[in-house]
Amino acid sequence: MKLLSNSKIWAVAVIMLSGLVYIGSCTRDNDLIVPVKLTQPFAPNRGTNIHLPGTMTVGDPTQWKMDKAHSSVLWSSNYIGTAGLLTGRFNQFGMHDVAAAEMLNYVATGQPLLDNSWAFNEANPAQTFFSGYVQINQSNTGEPGRDGGCNISGMGTTPIVAGTQNLTVTNLAKIKSTKVEFDASSNGYIVTFDLTWQGKLAAPLTKSIVGKLNYITMTTIATATPYKVFGLQLKFQFNCRDFGITSTSIADKIDIECNMNFNNK
Amino acid sequence: MPDSFFAYAEWVELETFFAGYLLVYAIIYLVALNRPATGFVKTRLLPNLPLAYAFAGTLYLGLQLKNAYPDYTIEHLTAGVQLPYLRIWGLISILFWIPLLQKKPVFSLLHSLVFFFLLMKSLFLQLFTSSPGNDMARNNMKIYSISIFLNLGALILVTIISLLIARFNTQKRSTGI
Repeated sequence: MKLLSNSKIWAVAVIMLSGLVYIGSCTRDNDLIVPVKLTQPFAPNRGTNIHLPGTMTVGDPTQWKMDKAHSSVLWSSNYIGTAGLLTGRFNQFGMHDVAAAEMLNYVATGQPLLDNSWAFNEANPAQTFFSGYVQINQSNTGEPGRDGGCNISGMGTTPIVAGTQNLTVTNLAKIKSTKVEFDASSNGYIVTFDLTWQGKLAAPLTKSIVGKLNYITMTTIATATPYKVFGLQLKFQFNCRDFGITSTSIADKIDIECNMNFNNK
Repeated sequence: MPDSFFAYAEWVELETFFAGYLLVYAIIYLVALNRPATGFVKTRLLPNLPLAYAFAGTLYLGLQLKNAYPDYTIEHLTAGVQLPYLRIWGLISILFWIPLLQKKPVFSLLHSLVFFFLLMKSLFLQLFTSSPGNDMARNNMKIYSISIFLNLGALILVTIISLLIARFNTQKRSTGI
């Protein structure tokens, strides 16, 4: 109390303090709000592998062969459009650009056409291309009654003939890549390709589709005779209604997953 | 500084009326120290400081009554009060109208110190700690400035009135009315 009554220190302190906060509030800039980087931008880690089928000569390790026995083409769709997934696979497929003249019935147990319509360049996607096909009547859901029954009529095709590979236009769905680019968010690739299928239409329809291609890098399998393998996985969707499919058992959207394994035996 | 908006509004009112008094007091006090004992500052301004403070407190009370108009029941007056202790402390300043307290200006100084401290604490936190915006600090400085002018105005008004009263009394005595 005496300090306040007789000393001028407190008065000077009050004036100085007031001056200090005035100067502080007039000169202080707003703090910069620096956003915290939570995730680092994706850094691609691709190699330089190049894989080509050549003439698919057995025993030539420079020529890559599609290993159909260990590959698959899978489809899935929501049952009746809303329920859980209805899934299946195609028993017969290949990687060949089937020309019109090749759209025939072949008396064969395996694929009659060479799986040589592809090339893969890990570092240069412009050099990557592929074609492929499935036989629609070879859809396998594990229910023979459905696969050989409503699937046939629903997809506008004809039943399987034992010992025959049906590559005719009504039984063939083909894809053919038109552009392959790097995917900015993964080590994979964005692929634009044409899907050609007649379905229930009067003539085949070609739709441009965009899908995602992943490369499962080359690995050496250490056996008595070492060999190498690699994989390509293509995922995409399409609308089956575009192709005249009216079945209400499946949704409009069909997911396709192609898992192709290759070796150089 | 309170977090709730309504509490902040009350806090702003209190700071506006009382926070600037300390600086006005300090300046008058320092000026008076260097003046002769019969000088205007020492004889007129310094003794009137508690009255000016009481006047500011009365203005604050007036604002509260204006806000409560027309319902002056206790329930209505106390409803929604966010800072009751600080409000009561502010209203206590009216007591400086009492001549006994007027003779102890240092009490008014201590009374105002509470508001000055709260404002300075808030300003220091905003100015010297990391905060994205400077708007709050600038706003508080505006409040402080208004408070200084309000208390200065109150002192001038009270001094003028006291001078007029003194003159009136002198005239009254000289004319022997």
